Amino acid sequence: MSAINVYQQRPGNDAHAESPLHHADLPSLVGKGRKNAGVTLREKAFLGHLTLRGDGRDPAFAGAVFKALGLELPVALTVVANDEMSLQWLGPDEWLLIVPGGQELSVEQKLREALGDLHIQIVNVSGGQTLLQLTGPNVREVLMKSTSYDVHPNNFPVGKAVGTVFAKSQLVIRRTGEDTWELLIRRSFSDYWWLWLQDASAEFGLSIEA
Amino acid sequence: MSQVYRLSNGGRIDRSSVLNFTFNGQSYQGYAGDTLAAALLANGVDIVGRSFKYSRPRGIIAAGCEEPNAILQIGASEATQVPNVRATQQALYAGLVATSTNGWPSVNTDVMGILGKVGGKLMPPGFYYKTFMYPQSFWMTYEKYIRKAAGLGRAPLENDPDSYDYMSHHCDVLIVGAGPAGLAAALAAGRSGARVILADEQEEFGGSLLDSRESLDGKPAADWVAAVVAELKGMPEVLLLPRATVNGYHDHNFLTIHERLADHLGDRAPIGQVRQRMHRVRAKRVVLATGTHERPLVYGNNDVPGNMLAGAVSTYVRRYGVAPGRKLVLSTNNDHAYRVALDWHDAGLKVVAVADARHNPRGSLVEEARAKGIRILTSSAVIESRGSKHVTAARVAAIDVQAHAVTSPGEWLDCDLVATSGGYSPVVHLASHLGGKPIWRDDILGFVPGEAPQKRVCVGGINGVFGLADALADGFEGGVRAASEAGFKAVEGLLPKVLARQEEATLGLFQVPHDRNTARAPKQFVDQQNDVTAAAIELATREGFESVEHVKRYTALGFGTDQGKLGNINGLAIAARSMGITIPEMGTTMFRPNYTPVTFGAVAGRHCGHLFEPVRFTALHAWHVKNGAQFEDVGQWKRPWYFPKGAEDIHAAVARECQAVRDSVGLLDASTLGKIDIQGPDAREFLNRIYTNAWTKLDVGKARYGLMCKEDGMVFDDGVTACLADNHFLMTTTTGGAARVLQWLEIYQQTEWPDLKVYFTSVTDHWATLTLSGPNSRKLLGEVTDIDLDKDAFPFMSWKEGLVGGVPARVFRISFTGELSYEVNIQANYAMGVLEKIAEVGKQYNLTPYGTETMHVLRAEKGFIIVGQDTDGSMTPDDLNMGWCVGRTKPFSWIGWRGMNREDCVRDNRKQLVGLKPVDPSKWLPEGAQLVFDPKQPIPMDMVGHVTSSYAANSLGYSFALAVVKGGLKRMGERVFSPQADGSVIEAEICASVFFDPKGDRQNI
Repeated sequence: MSAINVYQQRPGNDAHAESPLHHADLPSLVGKGRKNAGVTLREKAFLGHLTLRGDGRDPAFAGAVFKALGLELPVALTVVANDEMSLQWLGPDEWLLIVPGGQELSVEQKLREALGDLHIQIVNVSGGQTLLQLTGPNVREVLMKSTSYDVHPNNFPVGKAVGTVFAKSQLVIRRTGEDTWELLIRRSFSDYWWLWLQDASAEFGLSIEA
Repeated sequence: MSQVYRLSNGGRIDRSSVLNFTFNGQSYQGYAGDTLAAALLANGVDIVGRSFKYSRPRGIIAAGCEEPNAILQIGASEATQVPNVRATQQALYAGLVATSTNGWPSVNTDVMGILGKVGGKLMPPGFYYKTFMYPQSFWMTYEKYIRKAAGLGRAPLENDPDSYDYMSHHCDVLIVGAGPAGLAAALAAGRSGARVILADEQEEFGGSLLDSRESLDGKPAADWVAAVVAELKGMPEVLLLPRATVNGYHDHNFLTIHERLADHLGDRAPIGQVRQRMHRVRAKRVVLATGTHERPLVYGNNDVPGNMLAGAVSTYVRRYGVAPGRKLVLSTNNDHAYRVALDWHDAGLKVVAVADARHNPRGSLVEEARAKGIRILTSSAVIESRGSKHVTAARVAAIDVQAHAVTSPGEWLDCDLVATSGGYSPVVHLASHLGGKPIWRDDILGFVPGEAPQKRVCVGGINGVFGLADALADGFEGGVRAASEAGFKAVEGLLPKVLARQEEATLGLFQVPHDRNTARAPKQFVDQQNDVTAAAIELATREGFESVEHVKRYTALGFGTDQGKLGNINGLAIAARSMGITIPEMGTTMFRPNYTPVTFGAVAGRHCGHLFEPVRFTALHAWHVKNGAQFEDVGQWKRPWYFPKGAEDIHAAVARECQAVRDSVGLLDASTLGKIDIQGPDAREFLNRIYTNAWTKLDVGKARYGLMCKEDGMVFDDGVTACLADNHFLMTTTTGGAARVLQWLEIYQQTEWPDLKVYFTSVTDHWATLTLSGPNSRKLLGEVTDIDLDKDAFPFMSWKEGLVGGVPARVFRISFTGELSYEVNIQANYAMGVLEKIAEVGKQYNLTPYGTETMHVLRAEKGFIIVGQDTDGSMTPDDLNMGWCVGRTKPFSWIGWRGMNREDCVRDNRKQLVGLKPVDPSKWLPEGAQLVFDPKQPIPMDMVGHVTSSYAANSLGYSFALAVVKGGLKRMGERVFSPQADGSVIEAEICASVFFDPKGDRQNI
C-alpha cells in the first residue's frame, strides 16, 4: 500500500450534486432583486478545493509547487491566480488551491508527483466549502458591517486574502478585483452566511447572479 | 394654543413645514428643524415631568444632552416605544408621540407631589438606604412602588420592528465634536489626505456656531460652517457622521459611535433603512473637541419650570426661533452669559435685569449690554425663584462670595424666565473613560483632561480654550498634529477672522448663598434628575462621607441617566466648601461609558432573531425536514432529534426507532462528528502520544477507538481513527469537540513535538456521513454498493472504499449502537443523491431514520459513554472502567499518563461509572440526580455520586441509568438511593454499565 490514500471522490457528471447553497435555490432568484443593486452575489459552486501543507521556507517545496501549477507560492495574506486556478496563503505552512471542478484528483496527483517524498499534506476539501462572489459598489460597506478587519483599499488591495471574524463566525475574504470580492465559506455555515448577507445588503439592494 | 412662544422670525427652522405631534395626549405643532424640546417650549409647555424623589414639577433646562428633566417616553405604537429620550436631542417629526416618563398619574396633578411636599423633611439623602434597608426581605416590595413613582421609562412589550447594525471602521483621525474646534481639526486632518471620521451628536454640524452672535470673516458663523462642511464632503477619505454620539472611549483607541440614522424621520425607520448604527472605530489618533457644558448656579427653588441655562435660552432664541418667556432675569458669574441678555433684547423681549456676582464687570459683552440700557446689578445673584408651576418672580440680592453670605435683603423682580450661568465645564467624559484623572484649573474654574497614555489630542473647550478665535486655532493645530502623527503631511490653511473680545475672568460661585442656611433655605437643587440638593450634600459630609465617591453614592449625585452632566461640579464645590477644602483637594468622580444612553437595539445590532447565533446544517438537512424530523441543538449544529410519525410524542417515536434498529435497520446522519485528515511519516507516533491507547500496530484498512486525555489525565474527547494508508489517518472526534481537538493537535505538534512530521486538516464539512445500523444493514447496503460486505472480507473495525449509490465512498464498519453498522462517508456535494437512493431501497427493510435521542438510548444500553454527558472533565479512563483503552506500556510518555497516575487519581473510592437499575423498573432517575448510600441520614447528606444518563423502560423492558458512584465498580449489586425534591426516594441497584449484548455478538456478525 502506498503511504497516502489518494482517492477519486467525485462521481461522474450524471450524479446528483448539491452545492452548500443548494437549498437557497439561487437560480430562481436571478433577476428578482432591485435594479442597480449595490451588491450582486454569485455562488461559485462545485470547484475543486485542495488544502496544501508543507514547508514554505524550503525552496524545494516552492519549486515543486511552481513546477506542478505554474504558480509562485503566494506570500502571507495574498492569493495568486491564473486563468485556471488560484493559490492562496492560509498560514505559514498552509495554502488553499482552487481548481476547476473535476480536476482536483489530477492536480493532487500532479502535485504529489512533483513534491516527491517531501513531507507535505494535500487534502481534498471540495465538499466542505464554497466560494461566494460579491460585486458592486456597496460590497465594502457590507463587509464593514460584518467584519472588524480593515477592508479599506489602502489596507486591502486587490490580491489580498485574509481569514477573519465575520459576524459571529469566521471565513476567508479575498479581493479579486476593484469591486469584486470572494468569501470562502464552510458548507455547514452556508445558511448563516446566506441569511447574514441578505440582511446586510438589504439597504443597498441585493441581486443574484447564476 | 399654537406656538405662542415662537418668535416671528429667525432660527434654523423651516416654517413652511409644519409638524403635528402630541405630548401627554395633547396635540401641538412645531416646525421641521425643531427639537422636541424646542417645539414644547414654543407651545408654552412648562412641565415635562415630575422629579424623582420629591415629585416636584420640572421643566426644560438645557438644549443638549445635559438635560436632566425632559427625559421622555417616545413612540406612537407599543412596538416602537423608546424610554428615556432627551427631548433636547430628539428631532421633531410628523406624528411624534411623547409622554412624560415620571409623573403618575399625570404631571400636572401628581399624587406623589403631595406626598413629596408633606414627606419632604422625612426624606433625607440616603432615604432608600436608611428607611428601606430593613428588613432586607421587603426591599423587592418597596422597589416596585419606588420604581413606579420614580418613573424610569418603560421598555416596549412588543418586538422592535426596526433594524439596527454595526459598522467597523479604521481611521487615521477620529474627531469627536463638530463645533468650531472640531471643524477646524477636520479641515486640517482632511486636507492632509488622512482617513478622517467627524462625529457629532447633534442634528447638524456647527455646535456653538449655530447659535453664535459672532461673525467669521465678516459673515454669519453658520455660513462658515456650511462652507467647511461642503469642503469636507468633497474629500473622499472623510466620513461625516451627524446624529452620532461618540459614547465610549475604550482601550487601544477603540471608540464606539451611536449613530441615529432614522430617529429624526419618524416613529419607524423607512422601509429598508437601518434605524441606528453602532460604529466601532479603531483610530490611529483621536481628537477630542467635545466642548463645554454650561453650569447652572445653585439657588433656592432653582428647579421651578422657567429656570434655565443661559446658553440654552440663547440656543432656543437663535437656533429655533423660540423665546421661552417674556421677561428675563439673568444670573451670572461670567461675561459669556451676557449673550442671552443681548439675544433676548435683540428679539424685542424684556430683560428685567442681569445679576452679576462680580464686583465690577467691564468685559466687552457687559459693556454692550450696558449700552443697550439693560439693568445690571453687580455683586448680586438670584438667590431664589418663586412660582408653583412656573416662575413668577426672582429674588435678587447682594452677596458676599467669600463669606458665603447674603448682604442685602434684595428685591423680588417679576419675571417668567430666570437664565443662569455659573461658568463652563469642559466635557471631559470621554477623556476619562480609560481612567485619565481630570485636572482642576483655577483660571477656567473647571476640570480639563489630565495626562493619558492614549494617542489623542484635546482641542477647544475641553482643553479650557474658550474664546472662539483661540478654539479655532487650537482645533486646527490639533488636526494638523493628529494627522502628522498618523503619518500624513498637513497642508497650510487660513483660519477665518474673528472679532477679538475682551473677556474678564469668571468668578468662583457655585452655590449661591441664601439668607437662611442651606438646610433651611428653599431647596437648592444640584442634580435635578436625582433630586439631590445642596443641603443633602452638606448633610452627607457632616455624616462623615468625605470621599467624593462616597458623597456621590450616598446622595445619588450624578447617578441619573445624564450622569450628572450639570450637577457634578457644583456638587463637588459644595462638598468642598462644606468641608473647608478646595475643589482639587476634593477630587472628582470618574465617568464611564456610555456618555449618553444607548438603545438595546444598537447594542444588539443584527445579532438577534434568526441571526442571533450561527446555525450549522449538514448536507442532508433538507431530507430530515422533509421526513418530519424534530431538531436538537448540538453546539451550533441542528441535528435530527427524533422523527415522529403521525401523532407520536418523543417517547413513542424513540421507542419505535430503537426497535427498528434492533430488529431491522436504522439510518442516522452522523455528519456532524468532527473529522480530521492526518498525513505524515510520524502520524502513527503522534497518535500514540495524543491518545491513551496504542496505535503502533493498527494495520492499513483498520480502525480503532481512542480516548484523549488532557495533561491531568482526565478524558476530554473520544472517537474512532482509521488507518487509510501507512502515513495517512482519518480521525473522528465528538461533534462538540471537533474544533478544540484540531487545535489541540496543532498546539502539541507545533509547540511540543515539532520534530514529528505530521499535518492535520479538518474534513468535517467535506464528508457527509450516513450511518446504517441494525441486523439488516448489510443486506441493505449490499443492494447499493460494489463493496464486498462479507463478514470475513469486511470485518468489524475495518473500512473499505467503493461505490455507494454510484458515488465514491469510504465505508467504515464501526458501531455506536451495538448492532451491525456501516458508516458511509460521501463527498458532501453528492450525499443527498446517495441518501435518496438508500432510502428508496431501504423501504423493503423498514429503514427507519433515527435521531440523537434514539442514538443516546441505544449507546447507553451498550454502556458507550458520551464525552461531556457521562464525563465532566474529572474522569480518568479508569474512572470510566475503560482501563482497557490505556496503553500502559507505550514507550513515550503520552498525554495524560502522568496525570492519571497521581495519588488522588488512583484512589479506590473515586467516582466510577456504573449502571443503575431502579428497583421499581417504572421509575425514571432524573439525569443529574444526586445519590446517597443511606437515605435516612440527616441533611446535609453524604452524597456519593450522580446520575449521568438515564432512560425510561424501553427495549430492555426496564428503566436504566449510567451513573458515577464512589467506589462503584466494587459495589456491584449494592443499592443506592436518590432522594427527590418531592420527598420521594428512588432506590436503584448498582450493576455493570453494559445492559445489552455484553459480549458484543451483534456488532460482530
